[in-house]
Amino acid sequence: MMKVYVVDNGGQWTHREWRVLKYLKVETKIVPNTTPFEELRDLDGLVLSGGAPSIACEGQRMGNNGEYLDKAEYPVLGICAGHQFMCQHFGSQLGPADMPEFGEVKLHIDDHSDIFAGIPDDITVWGSHNDEVKDVPKGFRVLASSPSCRIEAVACNDRPLFGVQYHPEVENSEYGAELFQNFLQIIRDQRA
Amino acid sequence: MVGFFDEQEFIDEAVELIQSSIPAPAKAVIACSGGVDSMVTATLASKAIGDRLLAVYVDNGLMRKGETEEVEAMMRHMGINYKVASVADEYFEALKGVEDPEQKRKIIGEKFVRVFERYAREFGATCLLQGTIAPDWIESGDGTRDTIKSHHNVGGLPKDMGMTLCEPLRDLYKDEVRQVARALGVEASERQPFPGPALAVRCLGEVTPEKVQIVREACFIVEDEIRKAADAGESVRPWQYFAVLVPSKSVGVQGDRRAYGYTIAVRAVDSVDGMTATFSRLTMDVLNRISVRITDSMKSQVNRVVYDITSKPPATIEWE
Repeated sequence: MMKVYVVDNGGQWTHREWRVLKYLKVETKIVPNTTPFEELRDLDGLVLSGGAPSIACEGQRMGNNGEYLDKAEYPVLGICAGHQFMCQHFGSQLGPADMPEFGEVKLHIDDHSDIFAGIPDDITVWGSHNDEVKDVPKGFRVLASSPSCRIEAVACNDRPLFGVQYHPEVENSEYGAELFQNFLQIIRDQRA
Repeated sequence: MVGFFDEQEFIDEAVELIQSSIPAPAKAVIACSGGVDSMVTATLASKAIGDRLLAVYVDNGLMRKGETEEVEAMMRHMGINYKVASVADEYFEALKGVEDPEQKRKIIGEKFVRVFERYAREFGATCLLQGTIAPDWIESGDGTRDTIKSHHNVGGLPKDMGMTLCEPLRDLYKDEVRQVARALGVEASERQPFPGPALAVRCLGEVTPEKVQIVREACFIVEDEIRKAADAGESVRPWQYFAVLVPSKSVGVQGDRRAYGYTIAVRAVDSVDGMTATFSRLTMDVLNRISVRITDSMKSQVNRVVYDITSKPPATIEWE
């Protein structure tokens, strides 16, 4: 069984990420973000949850997320604060969103090559964020955007690192489970 | 959602967990509001430890119209040991002058435990069983998570509680609890969610017996009209639907006379797990019937009705 853990950055929906992975028959567990990377070395993939910290000014509340991003050889999916932290870690500026998004977000997908494989171009998803990623980190590309937020999803060009600003783990996000399935497929491909 | 939740597997695990947490001859009380979470927990506990279990329902004066009788009947049908604690005066006394929603929730949480402690002592129980589900502890917050609202059964628990705690549903959401409830044949399986602090959090600001009576009647009308519309196939039954008393007054006109009364906010939402929700697209006809019935039958208290059109996030389902 594949082992994909969820790093808890204090999100309201961290446990939903755990639930989706459990439903997808993956061995999963929620771990604090202070867990040493050594204890996570043997995983097959990692999800970095969202959380209340404003990464721009409270980055220290993100514990060892940076270490995970530097050392993990397996795929990593950052969600909301996890996505923002990932982008900042690789060089992006963060700041208060020009227009924050709470609840319904109209997502347009430009790049279906990996986590959005088989998902329609335009879908309705659910977001909840005060801050946003202002520029694309070097070596990353934008996969999706919304009318209020240009950088809704990113992928790294040479490592299996993915970030989504919205919340694919909640019931109101369309194609949420499919995105997780795609992420698990990327893990399987990498393992093969 | 793809994948599935295996309720039979869950039932076996939960019964085992309860048995190992409460080994014979130890006894337990279960906090029983009559909602699906506590009734499922009671059914599992009854399977696990039989008559070493006592269910306690607290009539705190904050329950809905007819609710105490309805829950008593359910507990009777289940054939479990139960007691009804009639303690409305204690609650209203403790809530006097308190306006802050978090403070209200904490006072109510502590009161619950003090009542359960009394019954536990009498029964000789050392463990408190609760139907706590995932959103309760998630939203109550901890070192890692912000407190959105202190659920009475988590954030409202006093630190000096003299009982161990057993919460077999901690990792479940409402949709999963209902699945378990149907498998166990629990009568409460389709009851709509109702918050632990009950009508106290539907009565914004200070809670008084008079305000609770207003919101109780308004909640009854909302529930009754929506149920009738759903039964007639006119409207889908929302996940949760109720009234909130907004304690600021506005001007109206009734029979050529000036009126100055409270506002009732009607809330109806669609959800699966309570962690996200959209407001229900009730028909204007249903909303109109609710509005007319509330303002006609409650004319001396209410002269305005509004419909809440916010999702969660950014709002929560209950207003406090």
